[in-house]
Amino acid sequence: MGLEFLARVRRTTLWLAAIGALVTSTYVAPAFALGLASGALWSLANLFLIEKLVVGLTGPDRGTAPALRRVALGAGGMLPLLGLGALLLARLPIPALMIGFLVPFAVLTLKAASLLLIPTALWRRVTRDPKIAALLVIAAVGLIWAALPARHLGGATGATAAVEHAASAAAAAGGEHDTAAGDEASGPQKFPNFITVLHRAFPGAAWVTFLHHYEVIFFSLLVALILCVLAWAASRDARLIPRPFQNAVEAMVEALHDFIVGILGPRHGPRFVPFLGSLFLYILFMNLFGLIPFMESPTSNLNVTVALAVTVFIYAQFIGLKELGPIGYVDHLLGSPRDVTGWILAPLMLPIHILGELAKPISLSCRLFGNVFGEDMLLVAFVSLGITTLAFTHLPIGIPLQLPFLFLALLTSTLQALVFTVLSTIYFLLMLPHDDHGHEEAAHHAH
Amino acid sequence: MDFHAALALGLPLGIGIAAIGSGIGLGLIGQGAMQAIGRQPEATAKIQLAMIIIAALAEALTIYAFVTMFLLNPMIKG
Repeated sequence: MGLEFLARVRRTTLWLAAIGALVTSTYVAPAFALGLASGALWSLANLFLIEKLVVGLTGPDRGTAPALRRVALGAGGMLPLLGLGALLLARLPIPALMIGFLVPFAVLTLKAASLLLIPTALWRRVTRDPKIAALLVIAAVGLIWAALPARHLGGATGATAAVEHAASAAAAAGGEHDTAAGDEASGPQKFPNFITVLHRAFPGAAWVTFLHHYEVIFFSLLVALILCVLAWAASRDARLIPRPFQNAVEAMVEALHDFIVGILGPRHGPRFVPFLGSLFLYILFMNLFGLIPFMESPTSNLNVTVALAVTVFIYAQFIGLKELGPIGYVDHLLGSPRDVTGWILAPLMLPIHILGELAKPISLSCRLFGNVFGEDMLLVAFVSLGITTLAFTHLPIGIPLQLPFLFLALLTSTLQALVFTVLSTIYFLLMLPHDDHGHEEAAHHAH
Repeated sequence: MDFHAALALGLPLGIGIAAIGSGIGLGLIGQGAMQAIGRQPEATAKIQLAMIIIAALAEALTIYAFVTMFLLNPMIKG
Protein backbone atom coordinates (compact mmCIF):
# COMPACT_ATOMS: atom_id res chain seq x y z
CA MET A 1 0.00 0.00 0.00
CA GLY A 2 2.03 2.88 -1.25
CA LEU A 3 1.35 6.31 -2.63
CA GLU A 4 0.23 4.72 -5.89
CA PHE A 5 -2.68 3.19 -3.99
CA LEU A 6 -3.70 6.65 -2.78
CA ALA A 7 -3.56 8.00 -6.32
CA ARG A 8 -5.90 5.23 -7.43
CA VAL A 9 -8.26 6.10 -4.59
CA ARG A 10 -8.22 9.73 -5.70
CA ARG A 11 -9.04 8.84 -9.29
CA THR A 12 -11.89 6.53 -8.30
CA THR A 13 -13.28 9.15 -5.93
CA LEU A 14 -13.25 11.81 -8.63
CA TRP A 15 -15.16 9.55 -11.03
CA LEU A 16 -17.62 8.48 -8.36
CA ALA A 17 -18.25 12.06 -7.24
CA ALA A 18 -18.75 13.24 -10.81
CA ILE A 19 -21.22 10.47 -11.60
CA GLY A 20 -23.00 10.93 -8.27
CA ALA A 21 -23.28 14.67 -8.84
CA LEU A 22 -24.70 14.12 -12.33
CA VAL A 23 -27.24 11.57 -11.11
CA THR A 24 -28.34 13.60 -8.10
CA SER A 25 -28.58 16.82 -10.09
CA THR A 26 -31.02 15.02 -12.38
CA TYR A 27 -33.04 13.07 -9.84
CA VAL A 28 -32.72 14.96 -6.52
CA ALA A 29 -31.74 18.62 -6.69
CA PRO A 30 -28.93 20.72 -8.16
CA ALA A 31 -27.98 22.05 -4.70
CA PHE A 32 -27.65 18.52 -3.41
CA ALA A 33 -25.39 17.59 -6.33
CA LEU A 34 -23.26 20.68 -5.75
CA GLY A 35 -22.98 19.76 -2.08
CA LEU A 36 -22.00 16.20 -2.94
CA ALA A 37 -19.34 17.31 -5.40
CA SER A 38 -17.88 20.00 -3.18
CA GLY A 39 -17.91 17.68 -0.16
CA ALA A 40 -15.97 15.07 -2.11
CA LEU A 41 -13.55 17.68 -3.46
CA TRP A 42 -13.02 19.12 0.02
CA SER A 43 -12.36 15.68 1.41
CA LEU A 44 -9.90 14.95 -1.40
CA ALA A 45 -8.04 18.22 -0.80
CA ASN A 46 -7.93 17.41 2.88
CA LEU A 47 -6.49 13.96 2.21
CA PHE A 48 -3.98 15.46 -0.22
CA LEU A 49 -2.72 17.93 2.38
CA ILE A 50 -2.51 15.25 5.05
CA GLU A 51 -0.57 13.06 2.64
CA LYS A 52 1.89 15.91 1.98
CA LEU A 53 2.25 16.45 5.70
CA VAL A 54 2.84 12.79 6.50
CA VAL A 55 5.25 12.25 3.61
CA GLY A 56 7.17 15.40 4.57
CA LEU A 57 7.47 14.33 8.19
CA THR A 58 8.19 10.61 7.76
CA GLY A 59 9.53 10.23 4.20
CA PRO A 60 13.09 9.10 3.45
CA ASP A 61 14.21 12.67 2.72
CA ARG A 62 12.91 14.30 5.90
CA GLY A 63 14.82 17.34 7.06
CA THR A 64 15.72 18.47 3.53
CA ALA A 65 14.35 21.60 1.91
CA PRO A 66 11.71 19.96 -0.37
CA ALA A 67 10.34 17.94 2.51
CA LEU A 68 10.12 21.04 4.69
CA ARG A 69 8.32 22.83 1.89
CA ARG A 70 5.89 19.96 1.69
CA VAL A 71 5.24 20.13 5.43
CA ALA A 72 4.69 23.87 5.21
CA LEU A 73 2.27 23.42 2.32
CA GLY A 74 0.35 20.75 4.20
CA ALA A 75 0.10 22.73 7.41
CA GLY A 76 -0.51 26.09 5.74
CA GLY A 77 -3.15 24.72 3.38
CA MET A 78 -5.20 23.37 6.26
CA LEU A 79 -6.32 26.78 7.48
CA PRO A 80 -7.91 28.08 4.24
CA LEU A 81 -9.39 24.65 3.69
CA LEU A 82 -11.08 24.71 7.09
CA GLY A 83 -12.43 28.18 6.35
CA LEU A 84 -13.75 26.97 3.00
CA GLY A 85 -15.37 24.03 4.75
CA ALA A 86 -17.16 26.36 7.19
CA LEU A 87 -18.40 28.47 4.28
CA LEU A 88 -19.65 25.37 2.45
CA LEU A 89 -21.42 24.08 5.56
CA ALA A 90 -23.26 27.36 5.86
CA ARG A 91 -24.31 27.47 2.22
CA LEU A 92 -25.02 23.93 1.01
CA PRO A 93 -27.20 21.10 2.35
CA ILE A 94 -25.27 19.41 5.15
CA PRO A 95 -26.32 15.79 4.41
CA ALA A 96 -25.00 16.11 0.86
CA LEU A 97 -21.73 17.57 2.13
CA MET A 98 -21.39 14.74 4.63
CA ILE A 99 -22.02 12.09 1.99
CA GLY A 100 -19.50 13.75 -0.32
CA PHE A 101 -17.00 14.00 2.52
CA LEU A 102 -17.35 10.29 3.24
CA VAL A 103 -16.94 9.18 -0.41
CA PRO A 104 -13.11 9.03 -0.38
CA PHE A 105 -13.13 7.11 2.88
CA ALA A 106 -15.65 4.65 1.54
CA VAL A 107 -13.53 4.18 -1.58
CA LEU A 108 -10.45 3.73 0.61
CA THR A 109 -12.16 1.11 2.77
CA LEU A 110 -13.60 -0.80 -0.18
CA LYS A 111 -10.29 -0.78 -2.03
CA ALA A 112 -8.46 -2.03 1.07
CA ALA A 113 -11.10 -4.73 1.54
CA SER A 114 -10.72 -5.81 -2.07
CA LEU A 115 -6.93 -5.97 -1.59
CA LEU A 116 -7.52 -8.33 1.31
CA LEU A 117 -10.12 -10.35 -0.61
CA ILE A 118 -8.25 -10.91 -3.87
CA PRO A 119 -5.51 -13.29 -2.61
CA THR A 120 -7.94 -15.60 -0.76
CA ALA A 121 -8.55 -19.10 -2.07
CA LEU A 122 -12.30 -18.64 -2.47
CA TRP A 123 -11.90 -15.58 -4.71
CA ARG A 124 -9.34 -17.36 -6.84
CA ARG A 125 -11.65 -20.32 -7.27
CA VAL A 126 -14.53 -18.04 -8.33
CA THR A 127 -12.54 -15.99 -10.78
CA ARG A 128 -10.68 -18.86 -12.38
CA ASP A 129 -13.47 -19.33 -14.94
CA PRO A 130 -14.89 -16.12 -16.46
CA LYS A 131 -18.22 -17.84 -17.10
CA ILE A 132 -18.73 -18.65 -13.39
CA ALA A 133 -17.77 -15.11 -12.41
CA ALA A 134 -20.17 -13.58 -14.93
CA LEU A 135 -22.96 -15.89 -13.76
CA LEU A 136 -22.34 -14.90 -10.13
CA VAL A 137 -22.39 -11.19 -10.98
CA ILE A 138 -25.62 -11.57 -12.96
CA ALA A 139 -27.18 -13.55 -10.12
CA ALA A 140 -26.20 -10.93 -7.56
CA VAL A 141 -27.53 -8.04 -9.68
CA GLY A 142 -30.73 -9.94 -10.39
CA LEU A 143 -31.27 -10.68 -6.69
CA ILE A 144 -30.82 -7.04 -5.73
CA TRP A 145 -33.08 -5.92 -8.55
CA ALA A 146 -35.87 -8.35 -7.71
CA ALA A 147 -35.65 -7.48 -4.02
CA LEU A 148 -36.01 -3.73 -4.63
CA PRO A 149 -39.54 -2.43 -4.12
CA ALA A 150 -41.14 -0.39 -6.90
CA ARG A 151 -40.84 2.95 -5.14
CA HIS A 152 -37.77 4.16 -7.06
CA LEU A 153 -40.10 5.86 -9.52
CA GLY A 154 -41.23 8.42 -6.93
CA GLY A 155 -44.67 9.45 -5.72
CA ALA A 156 -46.13 11.24 -8.71
CA THR A 157 -45.16 8.64 -11.32
CA GLY A 158 -46.27 5.91 -8.93
CA ALA A 159 -49.79 7.33 -8.99
CA THR A 160 -49.87 7.44 -12.79
CA ALA A 161 -48.49 3.91 -12.92
CA ALA A 162 -51.35 2.79 -10.69
CA VAL A 163 -53.86 4.52 -12.95
CA GLU A 164 -52.28 2.96 -16.01
CA HIS A 165 -52.39 -0.44 -14.37
CA ALA A 166 -56.08 0.00 -13.51
CA ALA A 167 -56.81 1.00 -17.10
CA SER A 168 -54.94 -1.96 -18.53
CA ALA A 169 -56.71 -4.31 -16.09
CA ALA A 170 -60.05 -2.92 -17.23
CA ALA A 171 -59.05 -3.35 -20.86
CA ALA A 172 -58.00 -6.93 -20.17
CA ALA A 173 -61.30 -7.66 -18.46
CA GLY A 174 -63.36 -6.02 -21.21
CA GLY A 175 -61.64 -7.60 -24.18
CA GLU A 176 -61.24 -11.03 -22.69
CA HIS A 177 -61.90 -12.94 -25.87
CA ASP A 178 -59.35 -10.72 -27.58
CA THR A 179 -56.53 -11.77 -25.30
CA ALA A 180 -57.65 -15.36 -25.30
CA ALA A 181 -57.59 -15.43 -29.09
CA GLY A 182 -53.90 -16.20 -29.00
CA ASP A 183 -53.40 -13.73 -31.81
CA GLU A 184 -51.97 -11.08 -29.48
CA ALA A 185 -54.44 -8.24 -30.04
CA SER A 186 -55.51 -7.09 -26.60
CA GLY A 187 -55.00 -3.34 -26.82
CA PRO A 188 -56.25 -0.82 -29.30
CA GLN A 189 -52.75 0.62 -29.61
CA LYS A 190 -50.17 -2.02 -30.40
CA PHE A 191 -49.46 -5.71 -30.27
CA PRO A 192 -48.42 -6.63 -26.77
CA ASN A 193 -44.87 -7.82 -26.51
CA PHE A 194 -43.65 -10.16 -23.84
CA ILE A 195 -42.68 -7.24 -21.62
CA THR A 196 -46.29 -6.05 -21.69
CA VAL A 197 -47.35 -9.54 -20.69
CA LEU A 198 -44.83 -9.56 -17.84
CA HIS A 199 -46.04 -6.11 -16.82
CA ARG A 200 -49.57 -7.43 -16.52
CA ALA A 201 -48.43 -10.56 -14.72
CA PHE A 202 -46.28 -8.80 -12.11
CA PRO A 203 -47.77 -5.36 -11.64
CA GLY A 204 -45.54 -3.07 -9.65
CA ALA A 205 -42.43 -5.27 -9.43
CA ALA A 206 -39.34 -3.11 -9.77
CA TRP A 207 -37.64 -5.04 -12.55
CA VAL A 208 -40.80 -5.30 -14.66
CA THR A 209 -41.54 -1.59 -14.25
CA PHE A 210 -38.00 -0.82 -15.32
CA LEU A 211 -38.24 -3.09 -18.37
CA HIS A 212 -41.64 -1.72 -19.31
CA HIS A 213 -40.39 1.82 -19.06
CA TYR A 214 -37.32 1.15 -21.22
CA GLU A 215 -38.73 -1.59 -23.46
CA VAL A 216 -37.71 0.17 -26.67
CA ILE A 217 -34.10 0.39 -25.50
CA PHE A 218 -34.31 -3.20 -24.33
CA PHE A 219 -35.48 -4.44 -27.72
CA SER A 220 -32.97 -2.41 -29.70
CA LEU A 221 -30.17 -3.72 -27.49
CA LEU A 222 -31.54 -7.23 -27.96
CA VAL A 223 -31.38 -6.83 -31.74
CA ALA A 224 -27.84 -5.51 -31.47
CA LEU A 225 -26.95 -8.49 -29.31
CA ILE A 226 -28.42 -10.90 -31.84
CA LEU A 227 -26.40 -9.26 -34.61
CA CYS A 228 -23.25 -9.48 -32.49
CA VAL A 229 -23.82 -13.16 -31.79
CA LEU A 230 -24.49 -13.85 -35.48
CA ALA A 231 -21.32 -12.03 -36.53
CA TRP A 232 -19.31 -13.84 -33.89
CA ALA A 233 -20.72 -17.22 -34.86
CA ALA A 234 -20.04 -16.58 -38.54
CA SER A 235 -16.44 -15.49 -38.07
CA ARG A 236 -15.49 -17.78 -35.16
CA ASP A 237 -13.53 -20.24 -37.21
CA ALA A 238 -13.34 -18.74 -40.65
CA ARG A 239 -12.32 -21.28 -43.26
CA LEU A 240 -11.10 -20.94 -46.79
CA ILE A 241 -13.89 -23.24 -47.90
CA PRO A 242 -16.77 -21.77 -45.93
CA ARG A 243 -19.61 -23.68 -44.33
CA PRO A 244 -23.12 -22.62 -45.40
CA PHE A 245 -23.62 -20.07 -42.62
CA GLN A 246 -20.29 -18.33 -43.14
CA ASN A 247 -20.98 -18.41 -46.85
CA ALA A 248 -24.32 -16.64 -46.44
CA VAL A 249 -22.88 -13.93 -44.20
CA GLU A 250 -19.95 -13.41 -46.55
CA ALA A 251 -22.28 -13.06 -49.51
CA MET A 252 -24.32 -10.46 -47.61
CA VAL A 253 -21.28 -8.45 -46.58
CA GLU A 254 -19.92 -8.60 -50.10
CA ALA A 255 -23.20 -7.42 -51.59
CA LEU A 256 -23.31 -4.49 -49.15
CA HIS A 257 -19.71 -3.64 -49.92
CA ASP A 258 -20.29 -3.63 -53.67
CA PHE A 259 -23.45 -1.60 -53.28
CA ILE A 260 -21.91 1.14 -51.12
CA VAL A 261 -18.66 1.30 -53.08
CA GLY A 262 -20.76 1.55 -56.22
CA ILE A 263 -22.31 4.77 -54.90
CA LEU A 264 -19.37 6.35 -53.09
CA GLY A 265 -16.69 5.32 -55.55
CA PRO A 266 -13.63 3.11 -54.94
CA ARG A 267 -11.63 5.91 -53.30
CA HIS A 268 -13.95 6.80 -50.41
CA GLY A 269 -16.31 3.84 -50.42
CA PRO A 270 -14.49 1.14 -48.43
CA ARG A 271 -14.08 3.42 -45.40
CA PHE A 272 -17.82 3.76 -44.92
CA VAL A 273 -18.80 0.16 -45.57
CA PRO A 274 -18.64 -0.89 -41.87
CA PHE A 275 -20.82 2.00 -40.69
CA LEU A 276 -23.39 1.95 -43.48
CA GLY A 277 -23.47 -1.82 -43.74
CA SER A 278 -24.15 -2.30 -40.05
CA LEU A 279 -26.70 0.51 -40.23
CA PHE A 280 -28.55 -1.42 -42.92
CA LEU A 281 -28.41 -4.74 -41.09
CA TYR A 282 -29.39 -3.15 -37.78
CA ILE A 283 -32.40 -1.35 -39.22
CA LEU A 284 -33.43 -4.39 -41.24
CA PHE A 285 -33.35 -6.63 -38.18
CA MET A 286 -35.13 -4.04 -36.06
CA ASN A 287 -37.89 -3.69 -38.66
CA LEU A 288 -38.33 -7.42 -39.02
CA PHE A 289 -38.16 -8.01 -35.27
CA GLY A 290 -41.71 -6.74 -34.83
CA LEU A 291 -43.06 -9.56 -37.00
CA ILE A 292 -41.96 -12.15 -34.45
CA PRO A 293 -44.80 -12.77 -31.98
CA PHE A 294 -44.26 -11.17 -28.57
CA MET A 295 -41.50 -8.95 -29.90
CA GLU A 296 -41.60 -5.33 -30.93
CA SER A 297 -39.92 -3.29 -33.65
CA PRO A 298 -37.77 -0.69 -31.89
CA THR A 299 -38.05 1.40 -35.06
CA SER A 300 -41.79 1.81 -34.51
CA ASN A 301 -40.78 4.33 -31.85
CA LEU A 302 -39.69 7.78 -32.92
CA ASN A 303 -36.91 7.89 -30.31
CA VAL A 304 -34.94 5.09 -31.96
CA THR A 305 -35.23 6.44 -35.51
CA VAL A 306 -34.29 9.94 -34.39
CA ALA A 307 -31.25 8.51 -32.64
CA LEU A 308 -30.20 6.71 -35.83
CA ALA A 309 -30.81 9.78 -38.00
CA VAL A 310 -28.92 12.07 -35.62
CA THR A 311 -25.99 9.65 -35.69
CA VAL A 312 -25.95 9.84 -39.48
CA PHE A 313 -26.31 13.64 -39.39
CA ILE A 314 -23.39 14.13 -36.98
CA TYR A 315 -21.24 11.68 -38.90
CA ALA A 316 -21.98 13.48 -42.17
CA GLN A 317 -21.06 16.86 -40.68
CA PHE A 318 -17.91 15.32 -39.21
CA ILE A 319 -16.94 13.93 -42.60
CA GLY A 320 -17.57 17.31 -44.18
CA LEU A 321 -15.41 19.11 -41.64
CA LYS A 322 -12.66 16.53 -41.88
CA GLU A 323 -12.53 16.04 -45.63
CA LEU A 324 -13.21 19.58 -46.80
CA GLY A 325 -11.58 21.42 -43.90
CA PRO A 326 -13.31 24.25 -42.04
CA ILE A 327 -12.99 26.66 -44.97
CA GLY A 328 -14.07 24.09 -47.51
CA TYR A 329 -17.03 23.21 -45.29
CA VAL A 330 -18.23 26.82 -45.18
CA ASP A 331 -17.61 27.04 -48.92
CA HIS A 332 -19.78 23.97 -49.38
CA LEU A 333 -22.55 25.58 -47.31
CA LEU A 334 -22.28 28.74 -49.43
CA GLY A 335 -22.86 26.65 -52.54
CA SER A 336 -19.21 26.70 -53.71
CA PRO A 337 -19.23 30.20 -55.26
CA ARG A 338 -16.63 30.47 -58.02
CA ASP A 339 -17.86 33.44 -60.07
CA VAL A 340 -19.76 36.68 -59.54
CA THR A 341 -23.18 35.09 -59.78
CA GLY A 342 -22.15 32.52 -57.22
CA TRP A 343 -21.03 35.19 -54.78
CA ILE A 344 -24.21 37.20 -55.25
CA LEU A 345 -26.29 34.10 -54.58
CA ALA A 346 -24.14 32.98 -51.63
CA PRO A 347 -26.16 34.78 -48.89
CA LEU A 348 -29.24 33.07 -50.29
CA MET A 349 -27.59 29.66 -50.54
CA LEU A 350 -26.36 29.63 -46.95
CA PRO A 351 -29.78 29.43 -45.22
CA ILE A 352 -31.02 27.03 -47.88
CA HIS A 353 -28.08 24.69 -47.33
CA ILE A 354 -28.32 24.90 -43.53
CA LEU A 355 -32.05 24.21 -43.61
CA GLY A 356 -31.44 21.38 -46.04
CA GLU A 357 -28.87 19.83 -43.72
CA LEU A 358 -31.25 20.08 -40.77
CA ALA A 359 -34.17 18.68 -42.76
CA LYS A 360 -32.25 15.51 -43.63
CA PRO A 361 -32.34 13.87 -40.18
CA ILE A 362 -35.98 14.88 -39.71
CA SER A 363 -37.08 13.34 -43.00
CA LEU A 364 -34.92 10.23 -42.45
CA SER A 365 -36.32 9.54 -38.99
CA CYS A 366 -39.96 10.39 -39.80
CA ARG A 367 -39.91 8.21 -42.91
CA LEU A 368 -38.61 5.15 -41.12
CA PHE A 369 -40.83 5.67 -38.08
CA GLY A 370 -43.94 6.34 -40.14
CA ASN A 371 -43.50 3.29 -42.32
CA VAL A 372 -42.80 0.80 -39.55
CA PHE A 373 -45.39 2.26 -37.19
CA GLY A 374 -47.99 2.46 -39.94
CA GLU A 375 -47.33 -1.16 -40.86
CA ASP A 376 -47.86 -2.15 -37.22
CA MET A 377 -51.10 -0.20 -37.04
CA LEU A 378 -52.34 -1.81 -40.25
CA LEU A 379 -51.65 -5.29 -38.88
CA VAL A 380 -53.37 -4.44 -35.59
CA ALA A 381 -56.41 -3.11 -37.43
CA PHE A 382 -56.79 -6.23 -39.55
CA VAL A 383 -56.15 -8.63 -36.67
CA SER A 384 -58.86 -6.98 -34.60
CA LEU A 385 -61.17 -6.98 -37.62
CA GLY A 386 -60.59 -10.71 -38.01
CA ILE A 387 -61.32 -11.29 -34.35
CA THR A 388 -64.46 -9.17 -34.17
CA THR A 389 -65.83 -10.95 -37.23
CA LEU A 390 -65.96 -14.20 -35.28
CA ALA A 391 -66.76 -12.61 -31.90
CA PHE A 392 -70.35 -13.90 -32.01
CA THR A 393 -69.10 -17.48 -31.66
CA HIS A 394 -67.49 -16.68 -28.26
CA LEU A 395 -64.60 -18.89 -29.28
CA PRO A 396 -60.95 -17.88 -29.00
CA ILE A 397 -60.48 -17.82 -32.78
CA GLY A 398 -60.34 -15.25 -35.54
CA ILE A 399 -59.96 -15.03 -39.30
CA PRO A 400 -56.28 -14.38 -40.12
CA LEU A 401 -57.07 -11.36 -42.27
CA GLN A 402 -53.61 -9.90 -41.64
CA LEU A 403 -51.76 -12.58 -43.62
CA PRO A 404 -51.40 -10.66 -46.94
CA PHE A 405 -50.24 -7.62 -45.02
CA LEU A 406 -47.50 -9.64 -43.34
CA PHE A 407 -45.91 -10.09 -46.75
CA LEU A 408 -46.33 -6.37 -47.39
CA ALA A 409 -44.61 -5.78 -44.03
CA LEU A 410 -41.68 -7.95 -45.12
CA LEU A 411 -41.38 -5.86 -48.28
CA THR A 412 -41.60 -2.43 -46.60
CA SER A 413 -39.24 -3.45 -43.80
CA THR A 414 -36.52 -4.36 -46.26
CA LEU A 415 -37.25 -1.41 -48.53
CA GLN A 416 -37.14 1.14 -45.70
CA ALA A 417 -33.88 -0.25 -44.36
CA LEU A 418 -32.48 0.04 -47.89
CA VAL A 419 -33.83 3.57 -48.34
CA PHE A 420 -32.40 4.74 -45.03
CA THR A 421 -28.99 3.34 -45.94
CA VAL A 422 -29.01 4.68 -49.49
CA LEU A 423 -30.01 8.17 -48.37
CA SER A 424 -27.35 8.16 -45.64
CA THR A 425 -24.81 7.08 -48.25
CA ILE A 426 -25.86 9.93 -50.51
CA TYR A 427 -25.65 12.45 -47.67
CA PHE A 428 -22.09 11.24 -47.11
CA LEU A 429 -21.40 11.48 -50.84
CA LEU A 430 -22.57 15.09 -50.89
CA MET A 431 -20.15 15.90 -48.08
CA LEU A 432 -17.15 14.21 -49.66
CA PRO A 433 -14.90 16.26 -51.94
CA HIS A 434 -16.49 15.67 -55.33
CA ASP A 435 -13.63 15.68 -57.77
CA ASP A 436 -15.07 12.81 -59.73
CA HIS A 437 -18.38 12.22 -61.51
CA GLY A 438 -21.62 11.35 -59.77
CA HIS A 439 -22.07 14.48 -57.73
CA GLU A 440 -24.55 16.08 -60.07
CA GLU A 441 -26.87 13.11 -60.30
CA ALA A 442 -26.56 12.48 -56.57
CA ALA A 443 -27.57 16.06 -55.89
CA HIS A 444 -30.60 15.44 -58.03
CA HIS A 445 -31.50 12.37 -55.98
CA ALA A 446 -31.29 14.03 -52.61
CA HIS A 447 -33.26 17.20 -53.27
CA MET B 1 -68.74 22.72 -36.13
CA ASP B 2 -66.64 22.47 -33.03
CA PHE B 3 -62.93 21.88 -32.83
CA HIS B 4 -63.02 18.13 -32.21
CA ALA B 5 -65.42 17.43 -35.04
CA ALA B 6 -63.33 19.55 -37.40
CA LEU B 7 -60.21 17.66 -36.39
CA ALA B 8 -61.90 14.27 -36.71
CA LEU B 9 -63.06 15.20 -40.19
CA GLY B 10 -59.87 16.91 -41.29
CA LEU B 11 -57.25 14.35 -40.28
CA PRO B 12 -58.36 11.48 -42.55
CA LEU B 13 -59.07 13.95 -45.32
CA GLY B 14 -55.56 15.34 -44.98
CA ILE B 15 -54.05 11.89 -45.33
CA GLY B 16 -56.20 11.25 -48.35
CA ILE B 17 -55.14 14.44 -50.07
CA ALA B 18 -51.49 13.75 -49.31
CA ALA B 19 -51.91 10.21 -50.62
CA ILE B 20 -53.41 11.51 -53.89
CA GLY B 21 -50.37 13.73 -54.38
CA SER B 22 -47.77 11.11 -53.67
CA GLY B 23 -49.75 8.55 -55.64
CA ILE B 24 -49.51 10.72 -58.73
CA GLY B 25 -45.83 11.29 -58.02
CA LEU B 26 -45.14 7.59 -57.57
CA GLY B 27 -46.98 6.82 -60.78
CA LEU B 28 -44.89 9.30 -62.71
CA ILE B 29 -41.70 7.94 -61.17
CA GLY B 30 -42.67 4.40 -62.03
CA GLN B 31 -43.62 5.37 -65.56
CA GLY B 32 -40.32 7.11 -66.11
CA ALA B 33 -38.31 4.26 -64.67
CA MET B 34 -40.15 1.60 -66.68
CA GLN B 35 -39.68 3.51 -69.91
CA ALA B 36 -36.01 4.02 -69.16
CA ILE B 37 -35.54 0.33 -68.42
CA GLY B 38 -37.41 -0.57 -71.58
CA ARG B 39 -35.15 1.62 -73.67
CA GLN B 40 -31.94 0.61 -71.96
CA PRO B 41 -32.31 -2.77 -70.20
CA GLU B 42 -28.59 -2.97 -69.37
CA ALA B 43 -28.89 0.04 -67.03
CA THR B 44 -31.64 -1.62 -64.97
CA ALA B 45 -29.72 -1.69 -61.68
CA LYS B 46 -28.83 2.00 -61.73
CA ILE B 47 -32.31 3.07 -62.75
CA GLN B 48 -33.91 0.91 -60.10
CA LEU B 49 -31.70 2.41 -57.38
CA ALA B 50 -32.57 5.94 -58.40
CA MET B 51 -36.22 5.00 -58.70
CA ILE B 52 -36.32 3.55 -55.20
CA ILE B 53 -34.71 6.66 -53.72
CA ILE B 54 -37.06 9.07 -55.45
CA ALA B 55 -40.03 6.85 -54.70
CA ALA B 56 -39.07 6.93 -51.03
CA LEU B 57 -38.89 10.72 -51.14
CA ALA B 58 -42.32 10.97 -52.76
CA GLU B 59 -43.82 8.42 -50.44
CA ALA B 60 -42.45 10.21 -47.39
CA LEU B 61 -44.94 13.04 -47.87
CA THR B 62 -47.84 10.72 -47.15
CA ILE B 63 -45.94 9.36 -44.20
CA TYR B 64 -45.59 12.89 -42.82
CA ALA B 65 -49.36 13.32 -43.05
CA PHE B 66 -49.74 9.94 -41.39
CA VAL B 67 -47.42 10.88 -38.52
CA THR B 68 -49.24 14.18 -38.12
CA MET B 69 -52.47 12.23 -37.88
CA PHE B 70 -51.05 10.14 -35.05
CA LEU B 71 -49.70 13.21 -33.29
CA LEU B 72 -53.06 14.98 -33.41
CA ASN B 73 -55.14 11.85 -32.86
CA PRO B 74 -55.38 12.16 -29.03
CA MET B 75 -56.81 15.67 -29.37
CA ILE B 76 -59.96 14.38 -31.04
CA LYS B 77 -61.08 12.75 -27.80
CA GLY B 78 -60.43 16.03 -26.04
